[in-house]
Amino acid sequence: MQQHIDRKVYHIEILTPKQNSEKLEEDLQTFEQKFRRVMDEGHMACITDNPMGMLSFQGTEMIQELGLPVLPEQLMIHLNTFHTKADLDGILATAKQLGIAYFLIVSGDGSERLPRLKGSDVGYEVESVTSVELLKYIRREYPGAFHLGVAFNPYEPAEHEVEKLRRKVDAGAEFVITQPIIEKHDGLGALVPFGLPVVIECWMSKKLSLLSECVGYEIPEGTPYDPPGNLRILIANYPRYGFYLSILGFKTQLPLIRDLWK
Amino acid sequence: MKIVVCVKQVPGTADVAIDPETKRLKREGVEAIMNPFDAYAVEQGCLLKERFGGEVVVVSMGPPQAAATVREALSCGADRGVLLSDRAFAGSDTWATSYALSCAIRSIGGVDLVFCGKQAIDGDTAQVGPGIAAHLGWPQVTCVSRMTDVQPDAVTVHRMNEDGYDIVRVLLPAVITVVKDLNTPRVPTLRSRLASRKATLPVWTAATVAADPAALGLEGSPTRVVKINPPPARNKTTVQIRGTADECAARLVHELRLKSLL
Repeated sequence: MQQHIDRKVYHIEILTPKQNSEKLEEDLQTFEQKFRRVMDEGHMACITDNPMGMLSFQGTEMIQELGLPVLPEQLMIHLNTFHTKADLDGILATAKQLGIAYFLIVSGDGSERLPRLKGSDVGYEVESVTSVELLKYIRREYPGAFHLGVAFNPYEPAEHEVEKLRRKVDAGAEFVITQPIIEKHDGLGALVPFGLPVVIECWMSKKLSLLSECVGYEIPEGTPYDPPGNLRILIANYPRYGFYLSILGFKTQLPLIRDLWK
Repeated sequence: MKIVVCVKQVPGTADVAIDPETKRLKREGVEAIMNPFDAYAVEQGCLLKERFGGEVVVVSMGPPQAAATVREALSCGADRGVLLSDRAFAGSDTWATSYALSCAIRSIGGVDLVFCGKQAIDGDTAQVGPGIAAHLGWPQVTCVSRMTDVQPDAVTVHRMNEDGYDIVRVLLPAVITVVKDLNTPRVPTLRSRLASRKATLPVWTAATVAADPAALGLEGSPTRVVKINPPPARNKTTVQIRGTADECAARLVHELRLKSLL
């Protein structure tokens, strides 16, 4: 991961189509276009896993079904704990077979329709499986096969979040991706002692209010926000870190950000 | 084993208006989903087919847009589907609906088991499954949470009740309604979803299933809805507990006890 940061490679989030999409073929085409564009431009495509508990297609099956190229250093798949054991094993086996090297391991958001892994599925006596157990499981079942990253939320109480990160690192996390940061957050200082590569999420939607739940307080609708401007400030404030762009506008924003990080 | 699963398309939200004239739910413009309990019925049918061989046929009665729900069941593993759609079915209550569905099941022929969700989340009557059994003259078991034995001529199941469960052996053919404890419904793959969108879906009318027109629609419905009201809105309140972790925990326990939740 550090080499991506050194080479100033953006991590660009791409959402897979929702399971209930009424225009599935069109959504698949859009996904493919975005994926290929990220590849062509040398960035890293980061494919989500049922974000916000919304039932969506898996990154590995999208790549397989659409016949998309796997460039190991340009692809990261999100993986959360809301899967059956069979599905989890299927995703990991397919990923290995396809040559996918990077996973972002998160606990994830559930929904009524999404099954959650049980402790017995991954061989641990826990009430609910978190990213820690999932990391351990992957390290145990696929030793050395993948580079695994984890999330860090500076909006959570620092002591609790740092302790969680310590357990994730002990379980095999190699890099960290933060929650969206606006300009600067003192909580990121807690990451320094871990010495891991850090990638900061930059929220690229103008609708800042959508981050209310993430940051834990109400951001009023219509709050002015300049996403490329925030990215520029983040790049200046965190010269040693990488950047993960969520909700990026491919038509309007992608051309704008090319020259921001040099 | 030939298995029929009855599924229903329902509104995906509780925020649905009621037509004061017809006393029916206004479904126009509301996101439609497969009745959640029906997903467990589909899964159980597919599990039995995968274990014992045979075929799973999905049947739904509704307007043309209900085809999406049948296709969803196909993407979850059912072999084929039928949509019962005809002006003659409009206005059917649970008795007329179960009559129409029973006619379809007879038309399919050679059916060993019929699965239904225990109830639909829009009407909450839990009457259609038992109604189908009554029309067919078959035995029924409602609220099945487990199947412990499956033989060519009989199945043994756990029937949930308020105090636990009954163990019931029922001769086939039979109708079984299921609860969520029964299994974990699979999430469709992209491949199965795409295949389901291309599947041929016959639309059967009252004539196709040789239903008596007098037993359908308003004429065939003994139920008269005199008045219908949505339940009163639940008051949501947020209480923030401040203090040390121990103080917060003690206060939380106290508050939950006051509400008889602990």
